[in-house]
Amino acid sequence: MAVDRSDIQGNVLRAYGSSYPCTAYVFAHVSDAGGGRAWLGSIAEAVSSDEEWRGSKPSSHRNIAVTCAGLRALGVPESVIGTFSDEFRQGMAARSEMLGDLGVSDPRHWDGGLGTGAAHVLVILNGRARDEIEAELASLRASIERAPGVSILHEQYAELLLVAGAAANVPAREQFGFADGAAQPAIAGVSDDAAAGGGVPLAGGAWRPLALGEFVLGYPDEDTLVDPQKRLPSAPADPLGRSGTYVVYRKLRQDVAPFRRVLRDAAARFVGGDEELLAAKVVGRWRNGTPLVTSPGRPDPGFSATAPGSNSFRYLDVDVDGRRCPLGAHIRRSNPRDGLGWPALDDAGLLSFRHRIIRRGVPYGPPLPADVLDDDGVDRGLVFVCFNASISRQFESVQLQWLNDGNGFHLGHDSDFLLGSPLGTGKMTVQGDPPFMLSPQGPFVTTRGGEYLFMPGIAALRALARGIGG
Amino acid sequence: MSNTSGQATAFMALTPIQPGEEAALRSFLEALPQDGSPLARLAGTHFARWVILRDWVNDPSQPREERLESPYLIFTSNFDGPLDPYLDELCVKLTPEAREIWGRCVGCPPDATGPQLKAYLLHNKIDTGFFVAAYPNSTVAQVKAALAAREQLIAFAMRAQDMGPDELFRAFAEEF
Amino acid sequence: MSEPAAPPGPDTATGTDPANVDGQAIAITVFSTVKPLGRLWLPLVFWFATTFPRASGTLGRLSFIHFARWSLVTRIPFNGPPQREEKLNYPHLFFESNFNGGWEEYIDAFSHILTRGMKFFWGTSYGFPQPLPTGPFKTYIKRNEIVASHFYGAYPQATTTMILSSLELAPKLGAFKARAKGMSPDAFAAAWSEFLADVQECL
Repeated sequence: MAVDRSDIQGNVLRAYGSSYPCTAYVFAHVSDAGGGRAWLGSIAEAVSSDEEWRGSKPSSHRNIAVTCAGLRALGVPESVIGTFSDEFRQGMAARSEMLGDLGVSDPRHWDGGLGTGAAHVLVILNGRARDEIEAELASLRASIERAPGVSILHEQYAELLLVAGAAANVPAREQFGFADGAAQPAIAGVSDDAAAGGGVPLAGGAWRPLALGEFVLGYPDEDTLVDPQKRLPSAPADPLGRSGTYVVYRKLRQDVAPFRRVLRDAAARFVGGDEELLAAKVVGRWRNGTPLVTSPGRPDPGFSATAPGSNSFRYLDVDVDGRRCPLGAHIRRSNPRDGLGWPALDDAGLLSFRHRIIRRGVPYGPPLPADVLDDDGVDRGLVFVCFNASISRQFESVQLQWLNDGNGFHLGHDSDFLLGSPLGTGKMTVQGDPPFMLSPQGPFVTTRGGEYLFMPGIAALRALARGIGG
Repeated sequence: MSNTSGQATAFMALTPIQPGEEAALRSFLEALPQDGSPLARLAGTHFARWVILRDWVNDPSQPREERLESPYLIFTSNFDGPLDPYLDELCVKLTPEAREIWGRCVGCPPDATGPQLKAYLLHNKIDTGFFVAAYPNSTVAQVKAALAAREQLIAFAMRAQDMGPDELFRAFAEEF
Repeated sequence: MSEPAAPPGPDTATGTDPANVDGQAIAITVFSTVKPLGRLWLPLVFWFATTFPRASGTLGRLSFIHFARWSLVTRIPFNGPPQREEKLNYPHLFFESNFNGGWEEYIDAFSHILTRGMKFFWGTSYGFPQPLPTGPFKTYIKRNEIVASHFYGAYPQATTTMILSSLELAPKLGAFKARAKGMSPDAFAAAWSEFLADVQECL
């Protein structure tokens, strides 16, 4: 089934990448359905699709997503809303207990009206430079100002932390200092070249890409492949479903200073006092992105995330006991590859292949200067954004089963050390001779706000603006 | 037929609910606390449940429909050791609740206790075809003790990371 | 356009009704109506699985099942009036299990990993779709599932792998304690390191 790239919004299948390091997220509130649709129609004209650019690169991109409350506010009939997934309709805030958004991460404390049902339409602007994006923002704000029945609820600015002077293939860092964002699912017909490492691990060391329908609705997914009747996965009723995807938006504040202190203190007791190694053990990659599995002793200074094969590794063949990359390391949890299987099991990817997500997160806030170990009170972190065809099967499963718990990895209730969920016991064992155990001082990551959204296809977006019948 | 795996035993009873008693029985069961369940009195019980079977699920592909004459109460338990002593214990320790539960089922002895209750449950026993246990040779007590020991060891091991050999030696002797 | 995937489950983290949940443990109870052929087939499957445990090795390896059972109900005991005797046209397959994790993941694992096993057990049930694709299989299980009225677990916060790790650790710890008696502090420190390295996968 050929991919209709012109109908899928941009940045889903192929990242805008480091050419567009500046991102502005604008959440709008719609109080009048007619006014809201008219405004949506006006801004939907310039939405970027996944089509190849003709001519020069655009200076900016605009994309649009909608919450369930937003669909309602725009006048979509309940019968149509009922065809969207349960978790989307409930919203992220209602599912806080499952996601581990408790205590300081409780939706009661969230920023800017997120999670209250007031967020309706999300406009995402991706730009090349701060001043350019400010101009786009000004124009968007003006359009909202002019539109009856539409107001701005919340704005969030984010920017890639590019390593100054680095080559284009050096991935941007996130706030804890780790290269982030390069490893993404390999999708059939889109990114087959990334299958080694990004796809489904097969017996004998082979890989295959994932079905497009795992990420974009209206296309065959992994279930379709094994279905004699070739049924497509469930999706919202046409015209809204086709080419759409579900979006998870989470503003995650990162407490960098405490994280650095904990690492420093723990490293003193760790073999050789090697803080960089300990940090790598927590994440599963060295700070520059080199995977621990392929390079357990030291980072590869020439590591390039974009080089073919750089992401191609699996766990069971060389690291079944976690001596290279700990069993509970962040990347091993969030994408186990063949790690949930056991050596005799033929298809070791079977327990993980349906829980992949496309990540397009961008850090926000100024980075904490290197070597600073004291909190400066500045809000910084990650605007986590991911795309998937099923929020519950994909994003939520990863969060609940793999990050916030350890049973699947035979780690009891140990949760991801980097996130430090209140749901788990929080200790992390770094396997070795002897093993080393980390005990965190409290969550390093706090959820400051989030929403479940739907990013419609281009035609669907226009239909939404014209008005959907029952 | 396999009602056991290692020392673990599976039991199932299927008893007809008295006419008109289904709602009351359901309410009673649903009101039972999990933390403080009467089943906790039977120390050898790993997992157990009461489930109300209202009727069979019929599939359109069936040539004929199948209906139950009445709703039934399913009781299943996965427990340690042989069936007989377990039922003996159950028929004594669950007496107050048994009256409200099996007491609402047809054929239950009036007192819902002792050997008569046991005979009733055995009469309504459904044998298990295939039974799998992840830790078939471990009793509830062994599982709980092992879990506690693991917790204790983990907590100690973390503290031990900060200790020199002498302190470690003393602390271990104290702790274990 | 397409047959929907499994109908929306109730609103808990585990993907199943809260009454089926006790701490980390989840209960699933399923009854399905079986074709007449099942009267012969299923006892054979049960016998085979019981007699040759290696055949169900994979089931045992799945890290989230505490207990599971299948039973074939061919007659229902009679207790006199007011019970009316049940004349069963068909046998009925009973399945119950206690497991951890999510309902979806559990069924997914059965679909993908125990594909053949699922056909053996549920292949003679009316309306059973194939184990794959998972969507229709989940719908089938959900349709035939009964929510528990009361579910009890003796150690509800413990997951299966925690228990297995604990049980593996217990004798090793005992043996270590015995060895440790009479060691000097320095010898003990070395032995302790070695012990930790040996049991780290249980911690």
